[in-house]
Amino acid sequence: MLKSLTCSNKSKGDIFIPICTVLISAFGMLMIYSASSYQAELTYGDKFYFFKKQLTGFLLGLACMIGTSLIDYRKLDKLKYVFLIISVVLLALVFTPLGVENYGAKRWIGVGPVTIQPSELAKFSFVIFTAGYFAKKPSRAKSFLGVLPVLLVGGVLCVLIMIEPNMSITVCVGALMLAMLFASGIKKRYLFAILVPALIALPIMIIAEPYRLKRLMAFINPWASPKGEGYQLLQSLYALGSGGFFGVGLFNSRQKYRFLPFAESDFILSVIGEELGFIGVFILFTVMFFLSYRGYRASLKCNSFFGFMTAFGITTVFVLQVLVNALVVSGSIPPTGLPLPLISSGNTSLIVFMGAFGVLYNISKDLDKV
Amino acid sequence: MFVIARLFYVQIIWGNELQIKALDQWTRNVPVLAKRGEITDRNGVVLATTKETYTVFVRPRAVTDLDGVTTVLSNVFSLDKGELIDKIKNTKVSEIKVVKHVGKEYVEKLSNYSLSGVYFAEDVTRYYPYDELLAQVLGYTSADGNGISGLELYYNDQLSGVNGDILYQADLTGVDLKDKTPYYRPATDGLNLRLTIDYEIQQILEAVTDEAMSVYTPVSASAIVISPVGEVLGMSMKPSLNLNEVPLGDLETLNKLGRITLIADSYEPGSTFKVLTASANLNEYYNGNDKAFSETHTFNSSRFRYIDGSKIKCWSTHNNGKHANENLSEALNNSCNPIFVDIALALGKEKFYDYVNSFGYGKVTGIDLPGEAQGMLIPKQAVKSADLARISFGQAIACTPLQLLMATTSAVNGGKLYSPYLVKEVYSSGGALSSVTEPNEIATVIDEKTSKTISSYLEKVVSNGSGKQAYIEGYKVGGKTGTAQKYKDGVINQGKYVMSFIGFFPADKPEYLCLVIVDEPVGGTYGSTVAAPLCKKVFEGIINCKGL
Repeated sequence: MLKSLTCSNKSKGDIFIPICTVLISAFGMLMIYSASSYQAELTYGDKFYFFKKQLTGFLLGLACMIGTSLIDYRKLDKLKYVFLIISVVLLALVFTPLGVENYGAKRWIGVGPVTIQPSELAKFSFVIFTAGYFAKKPSRAKSFLGVLPVLLVGGVLCVLIMIEPNMSITVCVGALMLAMLFASGIKKRYLFAILVPALIALPIMIIAEPYRLKRLMAFINPWASPKGEGYQLLQSLYALGSGGFFGVGLFNSRQKYRFLPFAESDFILSVIGEELGFIGVFILFTVMFFLSYRGYRASLKCNSFFGFMTAFGITTVFVLQVLVNALVVSGSIPPTGLPLPLISSGNTSLIVFMGAFGVLYNISKDLDKV
Repeated sequence: MFVIARLFYVQIIWGNELQIKALDQWTRNVPVLAKRGEITDRNGVVLATTKETYTVFVRPRAVTDLDGVTTVLSNVFSLDKGELIDKIKNTKVSEIKVVKHVGKEYVEKLSNYSLSGVYFAEDVTRYYPYDELLAQVLGYTSADGNGISGLELYYNDQLSGVNGDILYQADLTGVDLKDKTPYYRPATDGLNLRLTIDYEIQQILEAVTDEAMSVYTPVSASAIVISPVGEVLGMSMKPSLNLNEVPLGDLETLNKLGRITLIADSYEPGSTFKVLTASANLNEYYNGNDKAFSETHTFNSSRFRYIDGSKIKCWSTHNNGKHANENLSEALNNSCNPIFVDIALALGKEKFYDYVNSFGYGKVTGIDLPGEAQGMLIPKQAVKSADLARISFGQAIACTPLQLLMATTSAVNGGKLYSPYLVKEVYSSGGALSSVTEPNEIATVIDEKTSKTISSYLEKVVSNGSGKQAYIEGYKVGGKTGTAQKYKDGVINQGKYVMSFIGFFPADKPEYLCLVIVDEPVGGTYGSTVAAPLCKKVFEGIINCKGL
């Protein structure tokens, strides 16, 4: 408490954080236009359909980011339960008639023309909750009872997301939980006590759902079912392979002509790889890596424990999702539907991430004067 | 780091392989058929060619206006509209063929409508301008344009060329991408064949065999003309078939009408074979074999010869001094069987078979056509004297008409046996020669001197012997008749004959050699009365059109 009171060394903050965020998002819109124009023209008669949607999300996200970067992040601490309750309620609403089913999973809720994906929000609610919870009494991390509430909240979120079903985000939230616990400084043996059952649960969850098992098999040999389960992965590989080192040039993707499913969302990285080549993907990842670096830097330099945890959590969510998405797209792990943050189309994700990076920027203003 | 490495691997190291696989799915290919090569006679008269026709097909998923498309298609090609709609709606394939082998005019009509989902591709149709002319030799192609008989089959690889294609860039469902240009992989057209056939001579042969068919109503009539070095100048076999209306499904008819009987069927040559026996004798005589008979030797005049208890007789009764005191030349004039028996027996099995073999019997001639037979020759070890005696005048031996003609040619062309051929040149549509066939001399069978003498004997056969009916005033024509009995189930089929005549002119330096065969003519029992006049007509025709 003493520490948090003395830390009022306001600085301008790390301007690279908002700059990179906006740059990456803007690049994302360009790629969404490229990846979706053909499909959009065919389906909606408007080749800018997905672009316009994303632009809306971008503008809202920008507003959100400006807002969060101006509001003192510490206020979030007080709202941690509010966020948590909202998240849980929204996640639960997915199973009411408000839920929108797509591709066999109920992951969205729809209110009029607006659909939102509660799981996107839940990740960050969990970050804020955990940060606030430990910041209030850092010693909680030292006892099992102290850690238990975090495990319970994380568990509830995981279960709710899992039964949508959305295994990839569940795994992300799980991994995030572990990362947050690690950052809070809990004992190593607690970490193992959580990690081991989680690792055991993973294969069970895969085997429990036939479609997951099929996907796993398709991942092992996509050519066995090129028109079925292996299709998506193959199309992604075709796109990346066609791109080669320098790519086929912006707007010149051939895979986007309906060969590659979810070209504008979960598999947009394939289109980027095809059009801009390995070099394009490499540059994008460099910028993303730089943003993550600045995020962790802000986290480590922040003089409040809440700020440290929040910044750490936000950055970790970003890093986790980028990695998982890239691993899926490159055929390194079985396909699962997870968007590439800031790039893939999907407004909830974009707005929430931009808002989160606004928070991160706000935290970066709060530097330890060393 | 792992992610970057993995992407590097997928994009750079694995990239090419993946791209090739991807390329396959990005395009719909429409084949561009290679134009099948033309077949012309030696002077460029086109005997087989391809007409530019089209296949029209529909890609159901690219059809936007089903009613419009089917209305137009059913009108233009007089198809059932309902059936067409049904076909387009209820298919799982990406393409449906609507019609094949339609003329350009139809396609032009179609392109006026600019129907989406309707495409056409060139599909070339084989066309033979002269229907029946040279039919069996030219052969025909299957519906998809592959040669299945005759030259079309034998030279299929050269004629076919290599198909190309147009790769239209399409999306997943096969809808063409408007802003992407298609790739063209051009077809390589097939090579053309220039035959040794002379269209004018071929026409003469067609007319002569047609006439034989109508006058004698035989089972078949055929005629072939070659040059002294084995170029086939004309080849006609009746009955024949119209190459533009080949009954592809009817194998029995095809086998009956499409067979190249002159090379595929063996027959007993009969008296025409005596030329070779005479040649063997003279050649041996000139080379100092004292068993051979001289030109002036007078043979025994008896009608009969008894060999190992079997009696061989001459076709003539030898009454009233016929066939009395003949020398070799006269024996040929009279086609007197016993004389040739004497020769074969005098030369002996070994020597005689040497000649039979070197004249090419028992082996294919090597003509560039599929399905050549090699005839039947009693193996040397199994030949008895009675067989040898019969072979001397053309019985107990079977050969293809072409074998007989090539052997006889070698007897009168200076002694050289050639392998016959039909294709003179293979050349590209640009005119570049791909291959040229030169006369292929297989062996020297007899000396030039022997050949000269035999030619002069055969000229006499025509001027005042059994071949009189082939005589043309003012021209030196040589020849030999043949009348072979036919066998049915191993016994002589009474009253059934194969009449043949081998003629050549000018006799002292042959340019044209002709074999005419009439199988089972009705009326006329000798080669001299049936086949010789036909050969005369062939030569008269050649003299007329060549202005000799």
